[in-house]
Amino acid sequence: MAEKMDGVVLEKEEEELETPKVSTVIEKNIDNLSRAVTQFDARFTLRALRAISTVRKNLDANSIAESILQTFLPNNEDTARFLLEGVGASSDSIPTFLKKSDAQMSTLQTQQGHRGDVLPEAEVYLGILIQVYLWDNKHYQQGAIFSEKLVTKIRTYNRRTLDSLAPRAYFYLSLFVEQLEPKAPSSQSPVLANRRILLGALRSAVLRKDTETQAAVLVLLLRNYVVTADYSQADALVAQTTFPQNAPHNQVARYMYYLGRIRAIQLRYTEAHEHLTSATRKAPTSAVAVGFYQSSMRFLVVVELLMGDIPERSIFSQPKLENALRPYFRLVQAVRAGEMQGFLKIVTENADTFRRDGTYTLVLRLRQNVIRTGIRRLSLVYSRISLRDICIRLGLENEESAEYIVAKAIRDGVIEASVAHEDGFMQTKQAGDVYATREPAEAFHERIKATMALHDECVKAMRFPMNQHRLELKNAQEARERERELAKEIQEGDMDDDEDASGDYNALP
Amino acid sequence: MSSASKAASGPEYELQAVIRRLRTLLTSRDYASAASLLTQGKAHLLRLNALLPSSNTPRAHLILAREVLEAGALTSLHLRDMDAFVRYVQQLQGFYVLPESVLPRQGDNASKITGLYMLLLLSRGDYAAFHTVLETLEVGGDDRPGRVEDDKFIQYPVRLEQALMEGSYDRVWGETKGNRVPAEEFSIFSEVLVNTIRLEIASCSEQAYPSVPISNAKNLFFLESEGQVVEFAKERGWTVRDGRIYFPHQEQEGLASEKDILTTSKQVIENTLGYTRELETIV
Repeated sequence: MAEKMDGVVLEKEEEELETPKVSTVIEKNIDNLSRAVTQFDARFTLRALRAISTVRKNLDANSIAESILQTFLPNNEDTARFLLEGVGASSDSIPTFLKKSDAQMSTLQTQQGHRGDVLPEAEVYLGILIQVYLWDNKHYQQGAIFSEKLVTKIRTYNRRTLDSLAPRAYFYLSLFVEQLEPKAPSSQSPVLANRRILLGALRSAVLRKDTETQAAVLVLLLRNYVVTADYSQADALVAQTTFPQNAPHNQVARYMYYLGRIRAIQLRYTEAHEHLTSATRKAPTSAVAVGFYQSSMRFLVVVELLMGDIPERSIFSQPKLENALRPYFRLVQAVRAGEMQGFLKIVTENADTFRRDGTYTLVLRLRQNVIRTGIRRLSLVYSRISLRDICIRLGLENEESAEYIVAKAIRDGVIEASVAHEDGFMQTKQAGDVYATREPAEAFHERIKATMALHDECVKAMRFPMNQHRLELKNAQEARERERELAKEIQEGDMDDDEDASGDYNALP
Repeated sequence: MSSASKAASGPEYELQAVIRRLRTLLTSRDYASAASLLTQGKAHLLRLNALLPSSNTPRAHLILAREVLEAGALTSLHLRDMDAFVRYVQQLQGFYVLPESVLPRQGDNASKITGLYMLLLLSRGDYAAFHTVLETLEVGGDDRPGRVEDDKFIQYPVRLEQALMEGSYDRVWGETKGNRVPAEEFSIFSEVLVNTIRLEIASCSEQAYPSVPISNAKNLFFLESEGQVVEFAKERGWTVRDGRIYFPHQEQEGLASEKDILTTSKQVIENTLGYTRELETIV
């Protein structure tokens, strides 16, 4: 699971440059951050964050320390010390660093004269780099401690330009805490203590209208509840909060994923299906994030089965999913065939896999679906079949059970049939013409709704350059003129070229 | 020193006395007096500050508190006071999640209480809550591995739920009989459950059968006598004629489809207007 979340962060493409020195990259990005602050444009912050994946491979304690000293000395020694403790404590070199910092302080002072106060953004950015470094080197305990301090600092700063950086800090905090012993499902896990911090962060984020942190922290909280299986609390959280509309794409995908899982547990399959579908569609396509895609696909497949649908065969032949979803593929085959024995065999064989994926209890619920599909197949094949035969074919205990099950299937609309009680057989009703019902119209409407939503989202997703409309205003006069001309031409019927097109319009109903 | 310890153990001593009396009352099935004794017990717990577990509650107090609350849960079940039972269960959750080192598992009734709680959820038809509890057990939030598979108290509601969802109502009927329940408290729910399945079967039968002879219906609905069948049929509004029950579903279907057309035409108009509007805005 950890790799999965990790993967989603790294959705950026690897830039294979000649690997510039880490400290220069950091310096450049701190410049980016200050531009973000002065111009109040979050794009520069995002650019700086994107650079993390490029430096990540070459990140080491020394280069981070170097950058810290360069950035924060001489005027911000406290900050420098705080950050150095974050990196330094991992090795024995902390005294050296501090000594070096003392030595360098005087030289730097003479070299650069006085530098003003360094932006908090730079501090947080370096803090995130330290988190990345500690994570990659598996210093979980230390990472958790450092992250907690960093997060507290971010909250006290309360700057809108930090909003894009803060989610990362919280994200790594949660990752670190999850790695601490005793791990998640245990009721003594430090994960539980982390909830307090996250809930506090959520509260401040909402009050400050910091939608990015709000979205990120909400997702982390949901994840937190889901690992410890506290679904009722997660449900309460979802009910009490609103997920920000303009949240980043990746957060939306994750939110949908967790929401889907919660709804699936609560037997609200239609909603679960909707959420999981959008999670899989919004999942990043790059190879590093494949874990998220696989995991949401697993849940989607099971939920589809629970709804009585059979997932498409093509899902399982996708190269990304073929291996990861093999047990699920066999599951689908068993449900499709309505074979109880085969189904039970697959469940016992793959119990550990399903448990690891968190789908085990959902898979167990499929038992009734297997029976139903079996009944449905029988009702399609035979126009009349005795309950005894149903019993034998589906591996049921006795005819009495079979009768009740068939009756329930009829009530739930799985099959169109009736039962002759005294003679002990099931009689299938003649299937009606689907095209005489409103079903096709409904399906058509569903599709149109989906395309409309897609269109609207596309329009919303477009980005317009700032102040462009002023330029347009200047041209507005000309445009109006042109329009007037056009109108005149249309009136006069001069537009020979467009005659066909206008004809088409008329042809529309 | 001895006087100090005596003063400290004052309410504790009384509480132990209360628990001893509770035990005898429970074995002699005097639940009404047990209920009034419980109020005393809880008051003592409050004085010991052990009604809710905190990090500095001594282990002895935790054990006492757990026993009082468990007794309370079972008593309220016997008195058919389901709301009180739910309250006790929720209070007990705080004790059940404590680690083994703080509060030893030995001697607790966690599985039994949880199983009963699940059964209550089932009898109320609250499947979402049922599965939420089950999921928590399955993931093992309380460090008890293999609990769902091996525990007879947990297995019982799980089996029942499976049978209910499948529609094998005869299995539910079998399970609720006296000798099949894992503990006597579980049979408290049997009546409710049988009622639930009877209603389920009734609504299934309305769809599945054109008609059923009364003699067969007796077994079908798990009723004692044919008189009860006739009474039940009247309750549901079925027609009883020539020793058979006729289900009035066909006529209803006709009515429904007629209503369907009315709503459909409105829907169609609405949709079409919607398309036009969208076309207008996009093209």
